[in-house]
Amino acid sequence: MADITLTAAPILGADMQIGANHIKERDDLAVVSIATPLGGDDALAAALKSRWSLEMPSPTATTTNGEARAIRTGQDQIMLVFPHATPDAEPLVQSKLNGAGYTTDQTDSWVILDISGPQTLLALERICPIDLASFDIGDAGRTVMEHMGAVVIKLGDDRFSLMSASSSAQSFLHAVETSYIYVT
Amino acid sequence: MSQPNRIDGGQVNRDRRLKFSWNGIFHTGYEGDTLASALLANGQRLVGRSFKYHRPRGIFSAGSEEPNALVQLRTGAAQEPNTRATTVELFDGLKATSQNHRGSLEHDLMAVNDLVSPFLSAGFYYKTFMWPKAFWEKLYEPIIRASAGLGKLSMQEDPDVYDHGYLHCDLLVIGAGPAGLTAAKAAAEAGLRVILADEDFAPGGRLNAETYEVNGQPGAEWAAATAAEIFAMPNVRLMTRTTVYGAYDHGIYGALERKTDHLATSDGKPRQVLWRVYTKRAMLTAGATERSMAFGNNDRPGIMLAGAVRAYVNRFGVTPGQKVAVFTNNDDGLRTATDLEAKGVVVTRVIDARKGDVVVNTVGRKGLHTVYLNNDRHVEADCLAVSGGWSPNVHLTCHHRGRPTWNADIAGFVPGGDLPPGMVVAGAANGAMTLAAAITDAHENASRVATDLGGTTPGEAPRASDEAFDTAPFWHVGESKTRAFVDLQNDVTTKDVKQSHQEGFRSVEHLKRYTTLGMATDQGKTANILGLALMAEAGGKSIEDTGTTIFRPPYNPVAIGAFAGRARGKDFRPTRLTPSHKWASENGADFVETGMWLRAQWFKKPGEKGWRDSVDREAAQTRKSVGICDVTTLGKIDIQGRDAAEFLNRLYANAFLKLPVGKVRYGLMLREDGICYDDGTTARLAENHFVMTTTTANAVLVFRNMEFARQCLWPDLDVHLISTTDGWAQFAVAGPKSRSLMSKVVDDVDLSNEAFPFMACAECTVFGGTPARLFRISFSGELAYEVAVPARFGDAMIRALMDVGKEFDAVPYGTEALGVMRIEKGHAAGNELNGQTTAQMLGLGGMVSKKKDSIGSKLSERDAMNRDDNLALVGLKPIDRAIHLTAGAHFLTPGDRADMAHDQGWMTSVAYSPELGHSIGLGFLKRGKDRIGEQVRAYSPVRDQDILVEVCSPHHIDPEGKRQRG
Repeated sequence: MADITLTAAPILGADMQIGANHIKERDDLAVVSIATPLGGDDALAAALKSRWSLEMPSPTATTTNGEARAIRTGQDQIMLVFPHATPDAEPLVQSKLNGAGYTTDQTDSWVILDISGPQTLLALERICPIDLASFDIGDAGRTVMEHMGAVVIKLGDDRFSLMSASSSAQSFLHAVETSYIYVT
Repeated sequence: MSQPNRIDGGQVNRDRRLKFSWNGIFHTGYEGDTLASALLANGQRLVGRSFKYHRPRGIFSAGSEEPNALVQLRTGAAQEPNTRATTVELFDGLKATSQNHRGSLEHDLMAVNDLVSPFLSAGFYYKTFMWPKAFWEKLYEPIIRASAGLGKLSMQEDPDVYDHGYLHCDLLVIGAGPAGLTAAKAAAEAGLRVILADEDFAPGGRLNAETYEVNGQPGAEWAAATAAEIFAMPNVRLMTRTTVYGAYDHGIYGALERKTDHLATSDGKPRQVLWRVYTKRAMLTAGATERSMAFGNNDRPGIMLAGAVRAYVNRFGVTPGQKVAVFTNNDDGLRTATDLEAKGVVVTRVIDARKGDVVVNTVGRKGLHTVYLNNDRHVEADCLAVSGGWSPNVHLTCHHRGRPTWNADIAGFVPGGDLPPGMVVAGAANGAMTLAAAITDAHENASRVATDLGGTTPGEAPRASDEAFDTAPFWHVGESKTRAFVDLQNDVTTKDVKQSHQEGFRSVEHLKRYTTLGMATDQGKTANILGLALMAEAGGKSIEDTGTTIFRPPYNPVAIGAFAGRARGKDFRPTRLTPSHKWASENGADFVETGMWLRAQWFKKPGEKGWRDSVDREAAQTRKSVGICDVTTLGKIDIQGRDAAEFLNRLYANAFLKLPVGKVRYGLMLREDGICYDDGTTARLAENHFVMTTTTANAVLVFRNMEFARQCLWPDLDVHLISTTDGWAQFAVAGPKSRSLMSKVVDDVDLSNEAFPFMACAECTVFGGTPARLFRISFSGELAYEVAVPARFGDAMIRALMDVGKEFDAVPYGTEALGVMRIEKGHAAGNELNGQTTAQMLGLGGMVSKKKDSIGSKLSERDAMNRDDNLALVGLKPIDRAIHLTAGAHFLTPGDRADMAHDQGWMTSVAYSPELGHSIGLGFLKRGKDRIGEQVRAYSPVRDQDILVEVCSPHHIDPEGKRQRG
């Protein structure tokens, strides 16, 4: 066996300031999808409640326990996003679910950008078709920005989390960064 | 630098003087001027030449309806032709030039056209350029093209940037005149989210141009105060310099905001933003546009709409002339004389058509100086203010095919038929032509909208009085002996309209196309009604019975750059990068676009002269030792559920129900019609857990089809899908030394052929603990593995693989070498799966299981798809081994004629095989499997190639598969 250890690299390493606004890649978060087994809605909801103190999210609103957040991404699919650095998030979640849901590690499939600052809504207006001004904190939506599928979550006043495909992360960051530059 | 026509008053900021140049000569204006008002202030009446006859033309209006004053702005690459001077906000340093003339503006050589105008009447080009036929392409078309287009493009790339955006509101108010301001304020007070958009830079509409009062204040002051008041409300967005240009489906409106057109530089920011506005309701308060009347020589510089004259006098503090005459058919025109006299401008005569007085002709080649009336009277005037009545701006009401209806009381079309859903119309646009009526109409409509949308009751409507409004339809002066223009922008005269009717063009749509009435930048805003009236008269019908053309988006011109937005150059679409992209860039990779992916197609080494050198080396070295290729782009779909195996069994043509855990199987997918559309491998990681790979190109299509099958065809199955394409960095490691290399990579997996045979798979770890997936599959035909790690480790993984691989002479290879090796092996790919291919053609007919039902299996049994003489995949070799084969060549039996009747098939893929030392190919040949060893012609007239090729097995190398199983 070769004496080599693989080191994880962030997708972008993005941490930038544009005027009074901030874009930061969150490479400290794990994403695990949980699919509801046919007929297993109640069991999954109960497991989510008992193991994470999380309610099942609705299509437009996430739920959070302060650390982990559940996002609905399909009729029978949610994503669990939580701080976790090592590449074993899926078995960890599955061990807690104990078969109440089908789990797939999605951490490496997504890039997550936290964006914040006074021009955030103005910047997002340029690329996001969703009416973000009507969002309450915790609301979420799936949409397409500059041809790239995305999930947008309102984390606070003038603060959002954006998720998009990791392979096109550079284009996604470019779209967000350009929007900020155009409005500041 | 005097401004001889500048007078007192107006809303310009005289404390801020602006310098601009017109045809290279510097002038001054004030902040708040348009280019048109500044030119008039400086006594510049001649501003352009007409489209066809190159007649001198001046400023005709004060808004976006302007047909005459089209100018070129800026210089160099930023030059923009055909811009209306009446909508250009003056800024310091503005450079504008006149257009559509050869020689100077004053001495246009093309003015000769005016002398031959009898030959240039409506439809002349349809009649004139018919013969001789050969002249069309070489002579006529170049001349017409050189003459057309008014302004000139810079022929350079547009240096400005543009952007798109999305807005949402309860109520979009289109137009910020008295009705729009009233409606927006009422709706905002009722608690609605309101967007108020206006194309002007100053809200107020006609209030800025008139001397009306609202709530006891001068109208312009009330407008400014109201705009400021609602601008401060958190639920209102006031968008000036924004034209709502189109009404689209589902309450969506298109709007163009001119962000920096009024500035000397954009400073890297978007010049314009194209907004998509999502509305619950929209209120059109776009006002009305004044129209002219047709009389002899009614196009001279100095002849202007009366409302525009009032706008220049009242808003801009500019008089368009020193001696002004007024020609009107309504009370509104008379107001012009009152306003002018109040400013001390001499009014030489008011000519009221309702009293039988008309203008029959005018004189003054480059600027009006005399107006001739009926009964041999004449009057001196350097400006003639004309008012033929007002036409409601119904344009956006027609964007869903609604047809406006004629209202004889106001002699104009008002909104009719079905409006775009959610649209209401108020104010002058709705036929409420006086101030108090317009305000009341807007307030009532806004209150109704607020009630509908659950808002509260708004405050009271502003107070205003109705001005005198009496109009008598009057369209043209019959006594005029000289040309009377209907459409100034297209040089369409009364004679053209009559001639069009005489020649049989009776539909208004035909009239438009034959005469070009209502086309180009102004879309006939001042001309359409006049043209219709003349046509109605020619046909002896009423205007109502004659009908009208309807309007399509855009209301005003929109730059193509604005439609493109950011989608230019490398930003045309997103780019997907593989996890090894950085490493590949550092190691000489040449990238190719594969859909949105960038994939390394080869890695150039020092001394290699062309791509073939690199590709040949990579393929040869892989077959000799070991090669490594990033195959992350292949679609990966995670499939889980109690019925996952059953689902796959129904999806794939071949059986999957009994695939053991730890095994991979090649799968073939058919469309419903039995044609193959994708293939790949699926690994069973656990009893209820599979991972499918698809082709790169079809990853999305396959996933979409699978979701459709899951949700719609078989919702009773417990199966769940999610894409993991981006989640795993996957590398093919192929070649006789791949096992040796992988044994230094993988932790605790026995890679011996017995323990981990061909088509085995396992979840494992690599390099001392990194989670991974290992598959023993081969696209190259060699002993090969694919190893996947979470994408975050992709960069580290390729570096580690290459590091470990040094010992085994490992080589990175790109998509070209991958293609060479798959052709050598006879594996089908996109060239073969072209939407016409059956399993039988691929030699995979036996894979389509008859023991189960799967998508496409029944229709694949059709007789025509299973005939013995059908096309079959074969290999091809040139008889003369020095010749390179050509993809796309068709096969012919030697001696047969080269036509479709004798077509025997075609070459799908070709490559130079470093293994065999000559060109090889794959192709579909009729009865191919029975013709191994035959010689056929490969005929490519496109590439001028006609050669003999030998038919062989598609498996050019290792047909028994010993290498991959070894």
